[in-house]
Amino acid sequence: MFVYEKRLQFPVKIKNTNPDIARLIMSQYGGPDGELSASMRYLSQRYTMPVKKVGGLLTDIGTEELNHMEIICAMVYQLTRDLSEADVKKAGFDAYYIDHTKGIWPQAAAGIPFTSLEFQSKGDAITDLFENLAAEQKARTVYENLLRVIDDPDVVAPLKFLRAREIVHFQRFGEALEMTKDTLDSKNFYHFNSEFDRMKGKIL
Amino acid sequence: MDSSSLCPCSEHLAMATVPKQEWCEPYDLITALEEGTIFPCLNLTFYKAPANKCHCKTHSMSGDVQKNREEMMSRLTAVSFAINDLTLYLDTHPDCPKGRELFYQLLEERLSLLTAFSSEFYPLTQTSMITGNYDRMKYGWTEGPMPWEGACI
Repeated sequence: MFVYEKRLQFPVKIKNTNPDIARLIMSQYGGPDGELSASMRYLSQRYTMPVKKVGGLLTDIGTEELNHMEIICAMVYQLTRDLSEADVKKAGFDAYYIDHTKGIWPQAAAGIPFTSLEFQSKGDAITDLFENLAAEQKARTVYENLLRVIDDPDVVAPLKFLRAREIVHFQRFGEALEMTKDTLDSKNFYHFNSEFDRMKGKIL
Repeated sequence: MDSSSLCPCSEHLAMATVPKQEWCEPYDLITALEEGTIFPCLNLTFYKAPANKCHCKTHSMSGDVQKNREEMMSRLTAVSFAINDLTLYLDTHPDCPKGRELFYQLLEERLSLLTAFSSEFYPLTQTSMITGNYDRMKYGWTEGPMPWEGACI
């Protein structure tokens, strides 16, 4: 179960209203490589993972991604909470405002709504771990794209933190891949699917 | 599983490998939070993300209570993050004695910080409402600002 702790994993204290930046950062909430997608990916995959420790890692990283989702939403909220009517009329945030006012809703920077099609739970440990390795790299790219166009130090600090986490998670999923490979026949890792074919995988 | 006797090549075809991380001496906890990892060997920086000045502190508020609260919250955030990062490390390195030692030491510190924060200010977890001297004549769970308000607390 999940229990709430009343603080953010990384503090968000943004002084300046900036709806343009909010619209871009929102992609890491509801976009294709966002934190909602990341948390749902890992928390969905974990049930059928054949190596118990890998299921544990997916739980812990998936939980951390929920923390990151909260950080991103706090950033969008603080960037728009003092939005004026004049701010709204400026290009950039007006289309979002029409549908959601200042409410926080998961969508990509280009306005595409969040969808579970953005992540996979394939029921094959090797496939899912590669999906996760790729997902961490895609999220790193998005954070770097954001860092290239944003200068506000209040916004840069949490983005820098979140980018660094993608690299750490990539390393851990790589280690999880090694743990999974250790349970398989190294002559042919693909001889059977250890999440479906109950054959001779020594499941740890 | 030793495959070298089976295959003349040291690597497997059609498979990727990520080397296992060796323990490296962690950053101090405030730096670790700013950098996004406790491990210097995993801190692979991006040129557009400059070194932070600690932005966890605020200058807009005054008063000793406010200052104490912010200092305690900063320490709690740093300790808790280090535990988050260490948890993932230990998930894949459960037999690392240095990692385990730091993990238990930080868990102890986190528990006392949560208890102290709850006793002196407001509760961040429901457990910390009973580990310290919390006033049981009030329902305190609704006290304090919500975390997304960025209230420098």
